[in-house]
Amino acid sequence: MMKPLSPKPGTAWSPKADQSFLHMSDLILKNIRKAYGHVTAVENANLTFESGKLTALLGPSGCGKTTLLRMIAGLEMPTSGDIILGGENIASKSAEQRKFGMVFQSFALFPHLNVARNVSYSLRIAGVDATTRRAKAQELLELVQLGDKGQRKIGQLSGGQRQRVAIARALAQEPEVFLLDEPMSALDAQLRGDLQMQLRLLQQKLGITTIVVTHDQREAMTMADQIVVMSHGRIEQIGTPQEIYHKPANSFVANFIGNANLLDGIATATGIRVGGTEIAVSDRGSFAAGQAVTLFCRPEAVALHDTEIPNSVPGTVTFVRDEGPAREIHLDTPAGHMTAEIPGSFEATVKIGDRFHAELPDGLLHLLPERSHDDEEAA
Amino acid sequence: MSKAAALPTRLAKVAYIGAVLAMCITPFLLVFAISFGEKIEGAAWVWGFQFDNYKRFFVGADYPNSISFLYLKFLWYSLYYAMIASILAVATCFPFVWLMTRLSRRAQTVWLVFFLASLTLSEVFVVMGWDILLSNRSGLPALFKETGLTDLLKETGWFDVLRSWGLASPRNVRFKPTEFATILTMTYLVWPYAVILLYPPLSKINNEIIEAARTMGAGPVTVVRTVVLPMVRTPIVGTVLLLFVFLLGAYVTIAVFAAPEKHTLSISVYEAVRGATLNAPFGSAQAIILLIAAAVVLVFSRMALERGEK
Repeated sequence: MMKPLSPKPGTAWSPKADQSFLHMSDLILKNIRKAYGHVTAVENANLTFESGKLTALLGPSGCGKTTLLRMIAGLEMPTSGDIILGGENIASKSAEQRKFGMVFQSFALFPHLNVARNVSYSLRIAGVDATTRRAKAQELLELVQLGDKGQRKIGQLSGGQRQRVAIARALAQEPEVFLLDEPMSALDAQLRGDLQMQLRLLQQKLGITTIVVTHDQREAMTMADQIVVMSHGRIEQIGTPQEIYHKPANSFVANFIGNANLLDGIATATGIRVGGTEIAVSDRGSFAAGQAVTLFCRPEAVALHDTEIPNSVPGTVTFVRDEGPAREIHLDTPAGHMTAEIPGSFEATVKIGDRFHAELPDGLLHLLPERSHDDEEAA
Repeated sequence: MSKAAALPTRLAKVAYIGAVLAMCITPFLLVFAISFGEKIEGAAWVWGFQFDNYKRFFVGADYPNSISFLYLKFLWYSLYYAMIASILAVATCFPFVWLMTRLSRRAQTVWLVFFLASLTLSEVFVVMGWDILLSNRSGLPALFKETGLTDLLKETGWFDVLRSWGLASPRNVRFKPTEFATILTMTYLVWPYAVILLYPPLSKINNEIIEAARTMGAGPVTVVRTVVLPMVRTPIVGTVLLLFVFLLGAYVTIAVFAAPEKHTLSISVYEAVRGATLNAPFGSAQAIILLIAAAVVLVFSRMALERGEK
């Protein structure tokens, strides 16, 4: 496992040097829309990327997140709308004018240049002298813990090293906004986990406004201050990882972020009626009694009991998935299919055919608008 | 596989490789052997082993009484025309192919089919077209005169400049016979080949690499100069060398557009082998020297490229 990044004493990337990234302006998108002929890729996106924070654009393939990122980078021009940075509308500026550092899915390193020259490319374009370029490249390579790899060819690097070179290269021009398009998708799961932590620590150290596109909810939860969930070119929800996970705005978000129990029913004065059972819900929102709604509950919130207790539904175990630290128990209930997550154990405490009462704690339940088939398919 | 079963397979492989080698090497060995033969005046030639043909090539047949560099000059023009035309073809073709690879797949296919189809035009056909276009009576010179462009050139002083370049007679512009027409036609001749050779490496460049350079402040020209060109340096040099070798054998273009004193070895070889002199040994010696010269150019280019890569 690679060591996590930490500030190194004596390197030029001192906290003072890092201040160059601070006190920048928020990046604001106003009514951004992108259409290709009759197909709308992004529809009326209104977003504020807070200065110094990391925002993840999360969604399934084809939801418009990469298109949105490319419009921010200047690689695509919006059909309509404004992109405001520091009070200036930069929507019509080209990518080379904006100079936002960007890490691509393929890393897009220049194969004809060695590692150090890749990192200092933007400085060479800007006319910075060779001595300064070399020094800056070395600083950045130290920052991403590749200080001894400057003279290597790109082909001699591993996937994780290439990704870190791409990050160092994008940061060399000290961009106002740092963009990453699915930066971990080409890496294996173990490396991805390490690099997610490293990238997050680096971003916090530099305090640079960062936008990451990903379809991996775990990646978004690990790194982001703010998550923007997208589907079919629309923004479904904006919030902190905790808000997105525990209080999803709709069934699509609930399903896309982690596992969710979604039970269709009718709102009542105190909660919801599902499968002939009245379930009390503390956060029942503003749904009128009698309205068709969907009950949301995370599997880890479901408790299994041998005897009937209030706010529970009876169920029969249909499948047990043992994941080591936890067990996923699939149940057939009168309210529909449900999943409960219980701590893992050496003993086989639950088996197919067992009958339980699944308790749904009212403080951990939320009512959502009635789900549509589109939501399920998109998730 | 057992040894008994492997033996016929191995024999078949050896026989196949032997046949390929024989087909490749035999004509070359024959030409090499004939180059040491002797021309019998008023008759054909006989096998032999003497260096008179090579001596004649470098210093003339009458050496040491007199010295002539006529055939060295032909060699020079062979290398000169071929190198300039191949470089020009690649230089003018590169921006076109680069822009072509940025088009939609469908548009790229249409262009490629067009250029592949144009390869069916033989050298004779291409030269005929340019011969008409550049001829003094019916081509561009006539158009210049009829439209008053010649007079305009004279008034502005450009006519004298063209005369000093050998591109005008006292009365009108003149493109035949000139080096300009020769190189222009040779360039045209190999342009489709340049497109087809440059297309694969340029189309393989990942668009994200170009976009990455753009996000770092590089404009379109800077991207091509600092990213695209260095990435395809080896294919570019390879294309130039391939076209160069191809053009060393150009015959019709030289015969039609080059002045006799600026002819190439391909003309001279044909004259010796099939022309008036019927001197196959001397023609063979010229062909061998042309081959060696081409090999030297290729080896030095390769060395230069390797040094550049380091």
